[in-house]
Amino acid sequence: MKNLSEMREVYVAGIGLVPWGVYENKEHYDFGSDAVFNALKDAEMEWNNIQAAFIGSVYQGTGSGHQVIKEVGQTGIPIVNVENACSSGSSAFRLAYQMIAAEIYDIVIAVGMEKMPKGPIKSTAFRPWELASGFNVQMANYANEAVEYMHETGASVEDFARVTVKNRKNGALNPNARFQKPVTLEEVMESRMVASPLRLFHCCPLADGAAAAVLCSKNKLKSIKRSISVAASTLTSGVYGEGIMMCGTVNSLKFPAKSGIVKLSADQAYEIAGYGPEDMDVVQAYDTMAPAELWDVEKLGFCREGEAPKFLKEGVFDINGKTPVNTDGGLMSRGHPLGATGLGQICEIITQLRGEAGKRQVNNPGIGLAHSMGAGPNSSVTIFKK
Amino acid sequence: MVSTDTTTIPLREGFWTNLRDGNKQTRLIGSRCSSCGEIFFPKKEKNWCVHCNRSTLEETTLSNKGKIATYSVVMQQPGGGFYKGPVPYAYGCVDLEDGIRIETLFSADNFDQLEVEMDVELVIEKFYDDENGNEVVTFKFKPV
Repeated sequence: MKNLSEMREVYVAGIGLVPWGVYENKEHYDFGSDAVFNALKDAEMEWNNIQAAFIGSVYQGTGSGHQVIKEVGQTGIPIVNVENACSSGSSAFRLAYQMIAAEIYDIVIAVGMEKMPKGPIKSTAFRPWELASGFNVQMANYANEAVEYMHETGASVEDFARVTVKNRKNGALNPNARFQKPVTLEEVMESRMVASPLRLFHCCPLADGAAAAVLCSKNKLKSIKRSISVAASTLTSGVYGEGIMMCGTVNSLKFPAKSGIVKLSADQAYEIAGYGPEDMDVVQAYDTMAPAELWDVEKLGFCREGEAPKFLKEGVFDINGKTPVNTDGGLMSRGHPLGATGLGQICEIITQLRGEAGKRQVNNPGIGLAHSMGAGPNSSVTIFKK
Repeated sequence: MVSTDTTTIPLREGFWTNLRDGNKQTRLIGSRCSSCGEIFFPKKEKNWCVHCNRSTLEETTLSNKGKIATYSVVMQQPGGGFYKGPVPYAYGCVDLEDGIRIETLFSADNFDQLEVEMDVELVIEKFYDDENGNEVVTFKFKPV
């Protein structure tokens, strides 16, 4: 296996987003191609510069990426559709990164998009008996893990609510977020119970949306000044013994996993990048449900197990704190278009490292990390540096 | 024709023993690996152990007693239309005496009484009536 740190450097030349929200009268190829045009413009490149496309989505169906490219221009380049649940966008990004690092292509586009389906969704993350038993309620699966986390660490439901309050506060500074109104701790704690102990405002909203990134080798960059390099991009899928209830697995009692997938993907990324968690100036963690942000920042190494609630309360994860987390409001404010989410997180880190995040700008960050989870399970970590 | 007889059918065949013998003798059916000792539920179709990667699984029955590891009370109808039971309902994980954690529905007079580390035991209970008038039963764990 080739040593990634010895391969050529890969840069993000441009990113493109569309506002997160509900696109009643548009299809995934409409706003998916808008994200492509925005990324090309940002990279100062032409469509015929692009040599390959990796396009992530979950529910858009066969050849959905091809439908996007039909709106941009069919040039004969290979298009590969990537379905990796909620880490589809970051998995597409990783493939684009590897293609350039391995010197197979010089300029590649990664896209993530989703128009969330209405009505019954046949979830393939669960077996038929699990669906019939009602085990596919993701709020309840996270609630179960939250109960275990509370039991082990002494965390409270108010601690989870503080994640929502922080992220909705950040989201109010993000013109692309679906929810741009802050909420109070009381409002979270008084919102409707969905799956005990989690309430409606502990859960992220769904949304439609798309994100794209143009990646290239150094010699193809139009502007070195705004370019950001990829220091590591890892993906860890399930390991034996670790229970992840959002895809129907529970812990093995006899043979528990030594390390879970979040820690494994983070440790591998830190080793490749040559940086540790202490070097990260800005972070995007996966907050589909509020408590998940707490155990994720612990598993990513930003504090020890059980310490995240205290650090959150002290403001460590605020935009002006030591380790700002989910500066764009996270999934909690932005909403969660499954296939786009991972790439949306990546776009926020790029925006922050460029110093273009406006009112939510972190003070002069040099290195940042994006983490996304997905049913399967998957955990992907991407580290960027200025 | 109106019949007073209802047929009792399990949610899934092969998940537990002794459907008609009453709850006390009923056991969940799983697989046990004769090489590494790992236990699986439900029973694996193939005798392949996904822990030690050998073809050494054998059918086994599981303890009907355990402790609650996690739980959540679900207040809304699950998406997709696959779930036909009552709402609210509770599900989570139970650690059985054999050393296996399983995902299960909970039965309780009041879901507020559920607690982590509470002693629970297996029951086979009515889940819902299907469209043909059959009583569908499934396994649940209930506070002792």
